[in-house]
Amino acid sequence: MQLIPIALAQPEMVLAREVVRPDNPSGPPICGRGMALSAPLIARLRQMGIKSLIVDGHPVMVEGEESLEIMLDALEHRFSKVTGDPLMDFLKGTFRSILCRSMGEEAP
Amino acid sequence: MSEQREKIREIIKETKSLPTIPGIVGKLNALSNDQKTSIKEMANIVSADQVLSAKMLRLANSPSYGFARISTVSNAMILLGIDVVKSLVLSSSIFEIMENNVMGLWEHSLGAGVAANIIVRRLNLKECEEISTAALLHDIGKVILKLKFEDEYAALGKLVTARQMWFRDAEMELLGTDHAEVGGWLATSWFLPDKLVEPIACHHDVSKSGTHQIRTAVVHVADIMIKAAAFGFSGDPFVPRLQPAAVRVLGLNETILSDIAEELGDRLIDIKNFSLEMQETDG
Repeated sequence: MQLIPIALAQPEMVLAREVVRPDNPSGPPICGRGMALSAPLIARLRQMGIKSLIVDGHPVMVEGEESLEIMLDALEHRFSKVTGDPLMDFLKGTFRSILCRSMGEEAP
Repeated sequence: MSEQREKIREIIKETKSLPTIPGIVGKLNALSNDQKTSIKEMANIVSADQVLSAKMLRLANSPSYGFARISTVSNAMILLGIDVVKSLVLSSSIFEIMENNVMGLWEHSLGAGVAANIIVRRLNLKECEEISTAALLHDIGKVILKLKFEDEYAALGKLVTARQMWFRDAEMELLGTDHAEVGGWLATSWFLPDKLVEPIACHHDVSKSGTHQIRTAVVHVADIMIKAAAFGFSGDPFVPRLQPAAVRVLGLNETILSDIAEELGDRLIDIKNFSLEMQETDG
């Protein structure tokens, strides 16, 4: 799933999280998760002051976002002082899979 | 180096120059000990400070606590209890200091709160809310070091980068103490309960924890998990090793760690969204 500014929302993207009113975040949701976006719905959400949405998959590359390759290199660096510890190696592998899936790719 | 440690300790003791625990927490403590006081009276005290109660309600509805939609202070008192509301008031006040001074650390702490919640649920541990608060506040020592020892804090960052070392090792080398010990001194000077002081003071050395080893172990693991996920920035570029004491106390294994990591991975986007919303509202 991906957090995107509403300006990048497109019809047929699917909401991965419900949307709530920014002026009443504790109130009932405006749209539920699993709902497919349409052009009129996106326009209505913009009118209501919604600035971002969480959608399924990783449909857009946002400016400034790091590539999967860079993120995996950073993961290796973060774990570099605990290499060889079986539990830490396992944890690194788990986060590697999570990162790959979050970018819509299979873990290598 | 121990001279520097003593200097820091003295400054923490001289609490006049430090951010103080909100007076409301003291009042709630006094009122909750009085059998005649009603929940409504206590709710009125919190509600009287509109800025604080708004921040407290936002935090109650944040992913770190993850309570179902709570819209009023009275609801929070009835549904969550006085102790949880007190810890929410405290966390809200301290978070405001963090938000204004060390944004990366604020996000790291928010994430640690979520991770602690996930661990507690996965392991069926009791008193989840208290552990969330301990995780949210675990790096409070860094906030104080940043505020009161700005030059030394900047030097720590440079040393970590230059020598590619753990933040805590740099603290020991430059200051003769670390943020966990400093946070423990501060929490003690605020008269916080031991169940919060110990996880703050011992989150890098679980075996030092006495009566609250489980809570300390949860905060230790939550800190490592959120560092592994690279959410926020605690000042430490490297993930510390899971301590054998924490693994033993919590009975961790690969299956449990995988479950916790997967759920945390799923929640990161919610935490980021909450953090962005908070920044937009405050900005």
